[in-house]
Amino acid sequence: MKPMKPWKALVGAILGAVSLCAQAQYPNKPIRMVVTFPTGGAPDILARIFSEKTTLGQAVVVDNKPGAGGNIGAEIVAKAPGDGYTIVMATVGTHSINGALYSKMPYDMVKDFTPIGLIASTPNLLVVNNNLPVKTVPELITYMKANPNKLSFGSPGIGSSIHVSGELFKSTTGTQMTHVPYKGRQFALPDLLGGSIQLMFDNMPSALPLVKEGKLRALGQTGAKRSPSAPDVPTIAEQGLPGFEATAWFALFAPAGTPKEVVARLQGEMQRIYKLPDVQDRLKTLGLDPVLGTAEELAKYQAAEIAKWAKVVKDSGARAD
Amino acid sequence: MDAFNTLMANLSLGFATAFTLQNLVYCFVGCLLGTLIGVLPGIGPIATIAMLLPATYALPPIAALIMLAGIYYGAQYGGSTTAILVNLPGESSSVVTMLDGYQMARKGRAGAALSVAALGSFIAGCFGTLILAAFAAPLAELAFKFGPAEYFSLMVLGLIGAVVLASGSLIKAIGMIILGLLLGLVGTDVNTGTARFSFGIPELSDGIGFISVAMGVFGFAEIITNVDMKDKRETFTNKVEGLILSWKDFKEAAPAILRGTGIGSLLGILPGGGALLAAFASYTIEKKLGKNPQPPFGQGNIRGVAGPESANNAGAQTSFIPLLTLGIPPNAVMALMVGAMTIHNIQPGPQVMTSNPALFWGMIASMWIGNLMLVILNLPLIGMWVQLLKVPYRILYPAILMFCCIGVFSVNNNSFDVLITVLFGVLGIVFLKLGCEAAPLLLGFILGPMMEENLRRAMLLSRGDPTVFLTRPLSLVMLLMALAMIVIISLPAISKKREETFVEE
Repeated sequence: MKPMKPWKALVGAILGAVSLCAQAQYPNKPIRMVVTFPTGGAPDILARIFSEKTTLGQAVVVDNKPGAGGNIGAEIVAKAPGDGYTIVMATVGTHSINGALYSKMPYDMVKDFTPIGLIASTPNLLVVNNNLPVKTVPELITYMKANPNKLSFGSPGIGSSIHVSGELFKSTTGTQMTHVPYKGRQFALPDLLGGSIQLMFDNMPSALPLVKEGKLRALGQTGAKRSPSAPDVPTIAEQGLPGFEATAWFALFAPAGTPKEVVARLQGEMQRIYKLPDVQDRLKTLGLDPVLGTAEELAKYQAAEIAKWAKVVKDSGARAD
Repeated sequence: MDAFNTLMANLSLGFATAFTLQNLVYCFVGCLLGTLIGVLPGIGPIATIAMLLPATYALPPIAALIMLAGIYYGAQYGGSTTAILVNLPGESSSVVTMLDGYQMARKGRAGAALSVAALGSFIAGCFGTLILAAFAAPLAELAFKFGPAEYFSLMVLGLIGAVVLASGSLIKAIGMIILGLLLGLVGTDVNTGTARFSFGIPELSDGIGFISVAMGVFGFAEIITNVDMKDKRETFTNKVEGLILSWKDFKEAAPAILRGTGIGSLLGILPGGGALLAAFASYTIEKKLGKNPQPPFGQGNIRGVAGPESANNAGAQTSFIPLLTLGIPPNAVMALMVGAMTIHNIQPGPQVMTSNPALFWGMIASMWIGNLMLVILNLPLIGMWVQLLKVPYRILYPAILMFCCIGVFSVNNNSFDVLITVLFGVLGIVFLKLGCEAAPLLLGFILGPMMEENLRRAMLLSRGDPTVFLTRPLSLVMLLMALAMIVIISLPAISKKREETFVEE
């Protein structure tokens, strides 16, 4: 090893000291956690749990910036400095589906961000109107093949995980049905219960009670494994469609260029908070399955999700902009 | 008898929950805060709840929901107070109250107008609560009879009703409705995901906010034009007396209250502009009933206050039915309640009734208590609310504008919404100068997108067959009613009479 020039060593030492100092101090002001959806939804609740339980020594301020499928909030974080003081509660939409859906994305889902970690995911539940004469996924496929494009499925809008689950089902099984978008899943429900539309890949927490009440019939769940919230409902993959997976997930991302130490600090705090027993209980009642992966796992998972949804969205011809 | 016993058992559980000191206090605080904010012109229940929602995060779930219900009723009643005394609607559904309420105030009968509004609201509230308790489950089934085709036809009927109801020039009313429809088109198309008229502005891709439009054209425009024409503005803050209704007033108002309650209870269950449509519908019916009303409608007829006020409160009450039984919020206020419930880990829906009966019935009981509090606490407090309106304009108006901005900002935490509101304020001033009514614009703005959505959804479901609107009986009936309205209004005799009715505004 060549001896370092004295001035270089000095500069190095000073820089090192400065960055050490900065590390020791992080966080030294409140952290802003942007939620890309309005108050009350799963991403909002996850963010508020973080804010409530944090022991970072600084407040974590939850900032709801809804709109444009989450792109408005995600863009704010993409353009924020990578110092760990602005982070985003990302969703499957803002960090994978939207990339295929919007022709002009205001940010790059990968290059503009530093992954922190995947918090939780929730499968969707394939529910059908009680009058539909099918009880399992294979029966549904047979029925759909015998009656091409007779069925309609609802969703809370183009590009939602509920919509793309249906598109994935169509392309995987080679069946046909009409997509009927609504402005929110709650507006689709009366039509599903009344039979105007016959099926929906609804969010697990909202669909399960209706299934338990006997108002809708559950045919399968869209996760790779059965969710602990609904251990009795088989996955779609189990029912002759191996590899079928369509989940809504929630993860933390920081802007690109955020220092490793800061990411590690946030990742550690995330692991600690969402493993608290009372938090685990809350996640369970919300139908969210904790994942709590590392930053590297999130990067890999995100890449796979982007590839999968790009194909499904392209095949379906869906667009939003 | 069995059903009756169950109902009584449920209600007594509810009252046992609500009648704890703590919950009564929260209910009262909610009513008080709700009225305090709601009485400020331009700030309706949506903005009020949005502003006060954070205050309930720390409370236990039952207390929080009880307080929110209190805020809701308080804000609604506060809105009526402002409508009557200042001629400013605190919310869209008090637009109708304004028509006759303000005229009553001008004639020195502000006290009677306020009393009848409170009394009507209370009676409608009691009735609505009973309906909610007794028929929650079966009534929710009614909503299933409505598919997209029925909704479309209902909205056609609503819009045509709005034209018939509009005062002044028919052409201007139609123009304003169409402008409202056009404004409603801004945003991402639900069916194709294409952005329309958003001009590349990301905030516009979700459409123009209802609150921005409402606050702009009503709140901002009103306040600013009033600064301009100071002597024309009359605020009846010194003349609030005679809160006790005369026997004659009572006899006249009672049937209107009952009719309003009935209409409101029915329309409140339907998703969409339940309370608003209810108020409009009730006003139309009152106007059509009885010949030669004295004084005429639009000039301070007590029935014009009693009917719509009862209807919107009954509607507000029964709009909890789809929320509590199905988890479906029928309007923006209920959507906020969903948000509040989720924050407290309660997923609204049919399971609430069975898994958390204390909460469900406690909330229903607290609605009734909230309504009672409005009458026995808020009516005597009217002097205090009036004091609020007595604050000099140079202080009150900027303060109101600021509150409006806070309200608008708090909905999405977005300053862009505030800018849009200001823009609509300017537009509203132009409308006022041109003598164009803003109410039809607002109705077109709300109903337009819903109508388009349901039209296209119905067509999507029928795979492109337009006869679906005529082959479904409920839809056909509503379309025929709309047609009948057009025929009636275009009859020469009627259209002449209509002009006479609206000549004195």
